[in-house]
Amino acid sequence: MSFNPVLLSSATQVGANLEAWFAQGGGQGLRQALAAPQAIIPLLQEAGLRGMGGAGFPTHHKWARTAAQPAHLDKYAVCNGNEDEPGTFKDRVLLEKSPHQVIEGALIAATAIGANHVLLYVNPHQPESVASLRQAVQQWQTEPLLQELAALQDRPIDLRVVTSSGLYIGGEETAVIATIDGGFPFPHRKPPYPAECGVDNKPTLINNTETLAHVPHILRHGARWYQDLGIGSAVGTKLYSLSGDVLRPGLYELPMGTSLRKLIFEYGGGMLQNRPFKAVFTGGPSNTLLTEQHLDVALDFDSVRALGSSLGTGAMIVISEGTSIVRKVAEYVDFFAAGSCGQCPPCKTGTYQLARLLRRIDTGGGLHSDLRALESLCELLPGSGRCGLIDGAVTVVRSSLMQFKEDYQQQLID
Amino acid sequence: MSGIAYELALANLSRSDGMAPPAVDKTPLLHRYHPDYQEGTRTRLTIGANRGDECPTRLATLLQSNAQITDADLAGAPVINTEVLVIGGGGAGSAAALTAAEQGRRVILATKLRLGDSNTVMAEGGIQAAVGEDDSLQRHFEDTLRAGHLCADRTLVARLAESGPDCIRWLINRGMLFDLAEGTPVGGKLLRKKPGGATCARILSYHDYTGLELMRVLREAVELDDRIALWNRCPLVELLSDESGQCVGAVLYNLDWHGFILVRASRVILATGGAGRLHLNDFPTSNHYGATADGLVLAYRMGARLRELDSFQYHPTGLAWPSHLVGGLISEAARSAGAWLINGEGNRFVDELQPRDVVAAAILKECAEGRGVERDGNLGVFLDTPGLERRHPGILGERLVSLGHLAHRCGIDPTTEPMMVRPTLHYQNGGVEIDEHGATAIPGLYCAGEITGGIHGRNRMMGNALLEIIAFGRRAGQHAGATASPKPAPKVGLYHLYDWQRQIILSGLPAEVCGPCLFPDYGNFDLRRDLVLRASAPGAVQAMVAGMTPS
Repeated sequence: MSFNPVLLSSATQVGANLEAWFAQGGGQGLRQALAAPQAIIPLLQEAGLRGMGGAGFPTHHKWARTAAQPAHLDKYAVCNGNEDEPGTFKDRVLLEKSPHQVIEGALIAATAIGANHVLLYVNPHQPESVASLRQAVQQWQTEPLLQELAALQDRPIDLRVVTSSGLYIGGEETAVIATIDGGFPFPHRKPPYPAECGVDNKPTLINNTETLAHVPHILRHGARWYQDLGIGSAVGTKLYSLSGDVLRPGLYELPMGTSLRKLIFEYGGGMLQNRPFKAVFTGGPSNTLLTEQHLDVALDFDSVRALGSSLGTGAMIVISEGTSIVRKVAEYVDFFAAGSCGQCPPCKTGTYQLARLLRRIDTGGGLHSDLRALESLCELLPGSGRCGLIDGAVTVVRSSLMQFKEDYQQQLID
Repeated sequence: MSGIAYELALANLSRSDGMAPPAVDKTPLLHRYHPDYQEGTRTRLTIGANRGDECPTRLATLLQSNAQITDADLAGAPVINTEVLVIGGGGAGSAAALTAAEQGRRVILATKLRLGDSNTVMAEGGIQAAVGEDDSLQRHFEDTLRAGHLCADRTLVARLAESGPDCIRWLINRGMLFDLAEGTPVGGKLLRKKPGGATCARILSYHDYTGLELMRVLREAVELDDRIALWNRCPLVELLSDESGQCVGAVLYNLDWHGFILVRASRVILATGGAGRLHLNDFPTSNHYGATADGLVLAYRMGARLRELDSFQYHPTGLAWPSHLVGGLISEAARSAGAWLINGEGNRFVDELQPRDVVAAAILKECAEGRGVERDGNLGVFLDTPGLERRHPGILGERLVSLGHLAHRCGIDPTTEPMMVRPTLHYQNGGVEIDEHGATAIPGLYCAGEITGGIHGRNRMMGNALLEIIAFGRRAGQHAGATASPKPAPKVGLYHLYDWQRQIILSGLPAEVCGPCLFPDYGNFDLRRDLVLRASAPGAVQAMVAGMTPS
């Protein structure tokens, strides 16, 4: 337990105070970046930084692709802080407690890819984050480092806060673009990828808040340092949003690759009231559930994926015996049904039907035919939407049906 | 503790000289003998909004208890939607339900026992309201505040006093009868009596069963209102919350088909009454069978703040014999009519018209110091009804009708044989903090009636309890009805419980103690055992639920 956190270390928790941020070593990363812009992307590649917003996609790929676009074009670097998934609460903490860490990361990204627009896209339902970020951005406007970045590109830098619609779907990459363009957050199909055609049809880089927060530290301490933070083949640290039936829920920054057991029983203080462990919804509610046999899995992108699940945002919603799986699943599918943007009919009606059937079973009115209907919807629906929302909803239903079918059957009335 | 044997005490009584009682010094008497002040009977709360405050140990245990249910118990439970959910079938609950329904809301009134099984029906004295030409709202306000040792919330007391006359009009319009002043024709003036501690005659009454008459009209009104679905025998087991901690409904347990029901409601009004049946400090109680502080426990668990939680009213003249009626109440009317309290040695020991807390402490002192009367193992003092009858012939038959009934149930003739009395746990002075609309600090949650605190301070005046349940029942119903939304909350669950359970464990409290207790210990009710009897026929529950939704 002697691990020293990076993103959540007490030194970085300076709020919107730029002086305090510089006093504890902030700004060094950006200074190094400005001194050698070409070295940034190779450094990230060497460090092995991956997207912390869910996909775990290598960060340098996206950056390189955007950087490769013609330099005379306007380019956008967007920090995605829309965070609205059940069980995930990491970005709001970063934005509220250490906004400069994130802003510096975004400015380094702008340096690397040549972006003259740096947009901080935040969820208006988190007023503390918005206020803290606005205050922080204000302080950067007169900061010489920002002028240096402008001089490097020979054009003014537009650094500002954009509030999102606050809707879940608005966190999807293409929906971010639609929102910033002034429209409803409708996702669209890829390609074209944002790197070529994003905000205002210009090359756009969209990174999760946590991903960007890691960047200044990597520049400051080097790739090797970052790699050594992880356990085994995993690199760096990860923010885990631990919630559900554990004694001490909360946000934990741990080495990437920490085992699920250690997270729950060591850091989380064990199960609430010592009830037996039943399952965990990993990475928010849109992934395959992990059960007791998976407790020793290393929580890094590859190990979790090997189990057919996904680390996602690092959210871990822990369920004990005594908590109803059907109810939880029904709750999350309700969330997806409410969050569906309605563009794609299979998603619009599919999430609604899934939610309706689950509610019926949960409230004691379910029949065997309802269960069969659920199963066939799980076959029909995947891949039928422009974005991954419907797939997420189906995954959680299918996984719970596979692993906890008795829980469903017990509640049927025929 | 032992006392003077009954026969000897009777002989002493017959030689009693009726000498005026000695003057007593109130403060040391209260500190030494009143249960509220006893050392070692209270516990400091370590979790919840009142962390650091003290209250009776038994109540503290329940306030800091774990939930009776887990999330898994709700699996498969039917869900019913309504706009306003009222818990409690006494006067406050009925008034709240009627007022909310008057605004066109769909209302469910759920009660643990049956509508009217409450302390309301036991209120004998009457209801206060400043309606006399020599009276004023200001006087009512000041009297109430003073009687409560100036601890009450002034806004609440102001609302109470100014609602008085309108509440009486509201009750009369619903058909409630009141005694009329003698010599006035039908439609004349209401008879007014002077309550202890008041500066003016302000008690309105109907014989010595005002509360029963009040409940009669409220019950009829509730049962006839088809916007109100009445659920008898459905105790509250837990409140429902959403992720923001708002109250969005409740989990009820249906005692008839042994299963849970989830009610999603935009507004929840708790009118669950007091805590007498917890038998704090091992006292008998005058309270009805359901008074187990369920609402208090659940509101606290959800985060509501309580006040004056260490202040209870012990009524001096509860029955002390026969054993099966111990705790039953003899109205203060007997003492105000002139009946004396006599100890086992045949002497008066306190001025009978002192405030309730003083008289109660004086009786406890006599018992503790061996001057009590002992009969079949029960200790008490005499309420000298034969003496009263000798001094005022005929008074028992004419003015103290209920007392006569009670004596009959005890198997004695009050004109020849004295009744044995000792203090009984009567009323919870404090409770959940509310604003003038009955709203608690938790969005969506209201409280009305004995469950609330702040109206009576640390001592309640006679007649203010009946006024309170109508005044604040209506206010809560009014505000809840006006602000309720027809759309049920999307997410309902036991969200508040997780944090509560963490607090329990982290502060080292026993997690296996569950509350609310629903029934007194001797009720021998065990929720887990009862659940086994759950109706298992397919569709049976669904069919029953279909008949329960408000129109």
